[in-house]
Amino acid sequence: MNQEDPQPAAAPPVANVEFKAALLLALMVLLVCGAVLYVMYARGAFEATQKLVLVAEDAEGVMVGMDLTFSGFPIGRVRSIELGPDGNARIIIDVPRQDAHWLRSSSVFTLVRGLVGNTSLRAFSGILTDPPLPDGAERKVLVGDATAEIPHLVSAAKELVQNLTALTASDSALAASLGNVRTLTGRLSGPGGVLGAISGNDADAKKLATVLDRTNALLARIDGIAAKADAQLLGPQGVVPESRATVVQLNALLGDARNTLKKVDGVLQEAQAIATNARVATTDLDLLRAEVETSLRKVDRLVDEVNRKWPFKRDAEMKLP
Amino acid sequence: MAAPIIAGMTATASRKGTLQELRRLAVRWGAGWWRIVHFASLMLVLALSPSSYHRANRAAMARHLYLGTAPILPWFAVLSALISLVVIRIVVVTALSYGLSRYALEMVVRVLVLELIPLTAALFVALRCTLPHGGEISALRLSGRLDARRAQGLDPMQQEVLPRIAAGVFAVVMLAAVSSVVTLVLAYLSVYGFTGGGFAAYTRTVGRVFGPAVTLIFALKILFLGLAVSVIPIASVLYDAPRAGSKTSAELQALVRMFLVILLIEAASLVGNYY
Repeated sequence: MNQEDPQPAAAPPVANVEFKAALLLALMVLLVCGAVLYVMYARGAFEATQKLVLVAEDAEGVMVGMDLTFSGFPIGRVRSIELGPDGNARIIIDVPRQDAHWLRSSSVFTLVRGLVGNTSLRAFSGILTDPPLPDGAERKVLVGDATAEIPHLVSAAKELVQNLTALTASDSALAASLGNVRTLTGRLSGPGGVLGAISGNDADAKKLATVLDRTNALLARIDGIAAKADAQLLGPQGVVPESRATVVQLNALLGDARNTLKKVDGVLQEAQAIATNARVATTDLDLLRAEVETSLRKVDRLVDEVNRKWPFKRDAEMKLP
Repeated sequence: MAAPIIAGMTATASRKGTLQELRRLAVRWGAGWWRIVHFASLMLVLALSPSSYHRANRAAMARHLYLGTAPILPWFAVLSALISLVVIRIVVVTALSYGLSRYALEMVVRVLVLELIPLTAALFVALRCTLPHGGEISALRLSGRLDARRAQGLDPMQQEVLPRIAAGVFAVVMLAAVSSVVTLVLAYLSVYGFTGGGFAAYTRTVGRVFGPAVTLIFALKILFLGLAVSVIPIASVLYDAPRAGSKTSAELQALVRMFLVILLIEAASLVGNYY
């Protein structure tokens, strides 16, 4: 039996087996440590973060580890979800410091649940110059839920179908209206036609026909009157041609009047020129008068001078005998 | 009247015999599992005691460690890379056709790294390494070498059994680690190509998959799978009473027990990850 034994010691010896085993161990330690470090790095264990608390009425679909995205890029990760004292869900998110500058005090956060796929948390910062979001900030999250609309949609559709059913029922108002329409169309195609349908009975329809005939006759007479009036107005001896001749004459008269006025205008201009000359002459007369007065005064003074200096004073006194 | 009484007595006796047989089987089944658990505890104690790493034992351990892992590592790496490549391609293309490509990477990492690779590594190690170890131990036991060692004052558990168990566990962990890394690299290359631009997004996806609980379950799963495929074949051949054709029977029994435990570990990990 010993001869048939698979003897473990008979296996071929391996050179430097301890060294090779140590190499394998080292490789495994390296792999495991590398994997652990990589996973820690991937989980964000080596980056400084700040806390952001999003408050939602319903945190359904939100999972620990899911991303908060900004413009499609993940900038934060859900660390935990807890129920607040006010009954709202508090979603606590770790935002790395290097990405925190995308979040501003005016940022808006949404929680969108799609019909297919994950729930997603999104951040929108409209004004990037606003002050940055402080650490530990608490914000309400706006919920946009596509699936939440489905029950409303279904109830609305059900209501619509009920209304349609009520409308199309045999005793409904629509059915009665359709019956009336049928009666109406029957009358329309009957002997009275539309008039019968409108008046409701044949006697009234006949009256209406009589009214129509008389109206026709009246219209024929009005037509004759109109023709006569046309002749009076527009005929060769009518009002309009006469008026046209009168207007032509008036036109000629107006032309004469215009010529007369032009002449008056010329006369006035001449009169104006005369008046101007008269005014100039008046001015000259004033000067002349002044000169005459001056000359007279000078003559007067000269006479006075001569009288004073004349040795032979003339005795102007007349003695009466 | 005598005949029916005898017939009734016979039926009662046979029912009693069946019950006794069932009880005997149950006791043997329970005892077998208890022996495995006891053996595993013994090996754990031995693995943690410094005396197992004396110079003579260390050489045997290094030899088994090397021979258990090195020959199968390249083959397994190549095979797992090929299978991973095929699975990654299928998942990515299918996800793309359904417009769900952003979930493809996460699914690849979950399906391959978390589920398939540890299981494949454990089965590969069992077939190539630990089942043959069980055969070797069985041969040693049948040849009386283990008793001879014990008579010499040496501990055969430390010299023959513990190195094989350690080699099995090490091989499972090593194969799982190498092929996980290879698969992660292949997944990145398949999705993003030969560019570094997708590294941040890829790292984020991996980080999302490997949460603390998932990572813990993953590590424990690999460890327990390694223990299961290493301990059960050896424990089965070491303690089960030799019978006619016992070698084959004990190995088959070991295989069945091993598959059962692997199934349980897999189910437990799935429950832990997804419930």
